[in-house]
Amino acid sequence: MPVQGIFGNTVELLGKTLDLRAKRQSVIASNLANVETPGYTPSDLSFEGRLKDALKQGATPTATPHPRHIPLKGASVSLDRVQGDLVQVTGSNMGPDGNGVELESEMGRMAENQIMYNATVQLLAKKFEGLKQAIRGTL
Amino acid sequence: MDFFTSMDISATALAAERTRMNLISSNLANVNSTRTAEGGPYRRKDAVFTATPLKEGASFGAALSQATSARSVQVTQIKEDPRPPRLQYEPGHPDADPNGYVAYPNINVVEEMADMITASRSYEANITATQASKSMALKTLELMR
Repeated sequence: MPVQGIFGNTVELLGKTLDLRAKRQSVIASNLANVETPGYTPSDLSFEGRLKDALKQGATPTATPHPRHIPLKGASVSLDRVQGDLVQVTGSNMGPDGNGVELESEMGRMAENQIMYNATVQLLAKKFEGLKQAIRGTL
Repeated sequence: MDFFTSMDISATALAAERTRMNLISSNLANVNSTRTAEGGPYRRKDAVFTATPLKEGASFGAALSQATSARSVQVTQIKEDPRPPRLQYEPGHPDADPNGYVAYPNINVVEEMADMITASRSYEANITATQASKSMALKTLELMR
């Protein structure tokens, strides 16, 4: 990517974060939709650890499994591959109908996800704003 | 970035909870109905909820929902409560049996009220989820300004 130098890892990372947070929102929406479905086990999308690992991998581009492999440059490659893990949430008290959804914790997780999403969009907006200022040369 | 999937999921839940609310209203309304078209007293009805993957082609994000195993909810059956009718001694009632007992619907008003509160709470929760998805999507659009 020729513009890699301008955007760096920030845009890639923030974009990936938005993508994963959007997916997490649909997982939480699914749990909330099934709050009354007997036998439903809630799940959550966990990805923060994976993102961190992907960033670390990018910092050391020489980490190739075989010496003759061509090293892929930059964190963007490994960032792109982050999918997030779907984990089952084991609630403390499961109802008699086998439904494990806890309304309160789902609402809490949803609020957190929403705030983090908005914060990420804000960061992305600031990044673009900075770039725009640099291009225009105005401050 | 696909918020329509989460909105679709929440929408199925709203529809399901509304169906349940209709059934609860119907149960409460018919708490004393001793005659029905099928004969006998009214029988309590309940919705059976089933977690289902979003329908193929229901939205652009259907494939995504399969990937993340996000599931919507569907009312798959409306079940009649098998509990026996409540018998009350009322010899003067036109529907009384030879022993003077009238078969009233197997409905417990307190139970229905509790169900109604749960239904309305989960309806609210799903509205909140829709609002969250909407505000996130709108926030993203701000990037284009």
